[in-house]
Amino acid sequence: MRMGRRIQWQSLSALLVANGLILLASLQAVAGSVKVIANSSVKSDTISLVEIKRIFLLEANSLDDGTHVEPVLRKGGHLHEAFLREFLDTNDDSLQAYYGTLVFAGKGSMPKELSSDTEVVGYVARTRGAIGYVSTETSTEGVKTLTVLNAGNSAQRKLIKRVDPEYPQTLKRLSIGGTVRLEVTISRKGDVENIQLLGGNPILAESAIFAVKQWVYSVSHSRTTTEVDIPFDARP
Amino acid sequence: MYRRIVKLALICLFADPNFLNAQDFKILDRMVQVHGFASQGFIYTNDNNWLTMNTSQGSGAFTDFGLNMSAPVTDKFRVGAQVYDRNLGQLGQYHPSLDWAVADYRFKGWFGIRGGKVKTTLGLYNDVQDQDFLRTFALLPQSLYPADIRDATIAHLGGDLYGNLSLRHHLGDLSYTAYAGHRSDSLYSGIAYIASQYNFYYLRYGGLQYGGDLRWNAPLKGLLIGASRMNEDLTAAANFINPLNPGAGIIPDNERSKTDWTNQFYGEYTVGKLRLDSEYRRFVHDQTDEVAETVILGTDTDVRGWYVSGVYRVMKRLAVGSYYSRYSITRSSAGPLALLFPDQTDTSLPANHVYDKVISARVDLNRFWNVKVEGHFMNGYGDSTYPDGFYPQVNPQGFKPNTNALVIKTSFHF
Repeated sequence: MRMGRRIQWQSLSALLVANGLILLASLQAVAGSVKVIANSSVKSDTISLVEIKRIFLLEANSLDDGTHVEPVLRKGGHLHEAFLREFLDTNDDSLQAYYGTLVFAGKGSMPKELSSDTEVVGYVARTRGAIGYVSTETSTEGVKTLTVLNAGNSAQRKLIKRVDPEYPQTLKRLSIGGTVRLEVTISRKGDVENIQLLGGNPILAESAIFAVKQWVYSVSHSRTTTEVDIPFDARP
Repeated sequence: MYRRIVKLALICLFADPNFLNAQDFKILDRMVQVHGFASQGFIYTNDNNWLTMNTSQGSGAFTDFGLNMSAPVTDKFRVGAQVYDRNLGQLGQYHPSLDWAVADYRFKGWFGIRGGKVKTTLGLYNDVQDQDFLRTFALLPQSLYPADIRDATIAHLGGDLYGNLSLRHHLGDLSYTAYAGHRSDSLYSGIAYIASQYNFYYLRYGGLQYGGDLRWNAPLKGLLIGASRMNEDLTAAANFINPLNPGAGIIPDNERSKTDWTNQFYGEYTVGKLRLDSEYRRFVHDQTDEVAETVILGTDTDVRGWYVSGVYRVMKRLAVGSYYSRYSITRSSAGPLALLFPDQTDTSLPANHVYDKVISARVDLNRFWNVKVEGHFMNGYGDSTYPDGFYPQVNPQGFKPNTNALVIKTSFHF
């Protein structure tokens, strides 16, 4: 009887651990599959992590180039939580409380919140300056996908020349997409010196690396390193 | 009445979240946002009556609510206003006030201006001290954020310059606010109420208020450090009835506090589900009372307070927290009426301090509605001419050194 109970407990524990691992894996998968989209009025093709933070924390209403921007949020869900964790270092409870401090003190307005990726894409497409986030698998027709420069001071290294990666036709036909994450070392002159693959499909990565090698950044007093996300949208 | 409350509770609990979300509508092609909040509290104390309520019998005279609207006029220009009303024992008495009404123009992330009636940035919580749904505690540490004299710091009629700056070399961000304006206290605030016990009946109270706030989001994730400063030049007009010669009738009294100042230093650290806060405030108040251009009373008051708090989110709908808050007051008086106000110098006496140990739990019934239960274990009652929660008018039997309080509060917002 006792032995039976012990076996039951062991099975239950194993099940819980397995579920935890699956949940963790699925959350990580979600975290890697967010892409940042913008209305066509946004001139830049790239956006830094610092800029994303300042826009979504309502600390800035324009980019460095003067383009007006306004954030658009998903209303809850795994993708929303993943975006907050990965890009803003926060969670929904804290973010809502933060927005509350602005809204009820007369120091800001609540950003637009929408229930689905489709609604986000639609709103971003028709709203000047809107910046939102959706799953990489979502069709983003009518909006532009921004490349996220992850390094803290990457905003200081402006991307001067950008070459878009080629989407291998075979993978596109098979609807294989996702985001390739690269660590890019930029020389003082602005050339891409070194690229290290941090994550993503190896075939897509090959194409992404080939494109990013041709990128040119602004001149800086020292060599810098930045992380770049290259999304490949599998949807037609 | 009971049925209406139950009905309202059921609506809050089970209503469609979309119904309870902020209400938006369009005027002249501009989206107008509407937000509101309401809270109802109950306090029971074992001994002294607290916050002008009859708490030793249990009191629910602890209600407040507000409603705001805001809209963008252009990409950079935004306007909005909030109406606020409250009843806290003998204070507020349901006299609504314009809480804030601002026109805000943000040129860039690093520079913006806002004008009108503006909430004052002072420490971590001053400008949102009424919105208890934003935090775990039902009552903020009273040593720094006294509910009975919220009017003293809550807003100014004037303007702010503000902005955010990213520091180079990964040194974090700086946020700044500089402000100047006019403070105008309600005649239903703790300052007017405590003065009435000395036969001073205020007609108006307020004056110039200016200062600034600088906060640093440090490179260490979750760490915020800041400092605030406020200078004040206040005047008041009151009717005074001399207790030593009541037959003289009403005597016009003028008060002046030219060099009041407040310094506040604060820090906040968030790691995972744990959040730690600490703040220190010192307030120096220099007041003279004049009757027919003759000084009848001069008082120098020095108020110091600090607290340390910790909050832990146990699960999505449950958070627990605790804080320790210390408040002390010293005062010296001069002039013909000084004999009515003996000096207070020894902060170890219960009459000159309030030390408060607090434990709290917050349950979120849904995204819009929460209930809090809080225990306060206080030593001291800070009996002075400057208000600090304990008033002789509602404690005619005299003060006892210790007060334990049970606070239950529920808040709703959308």
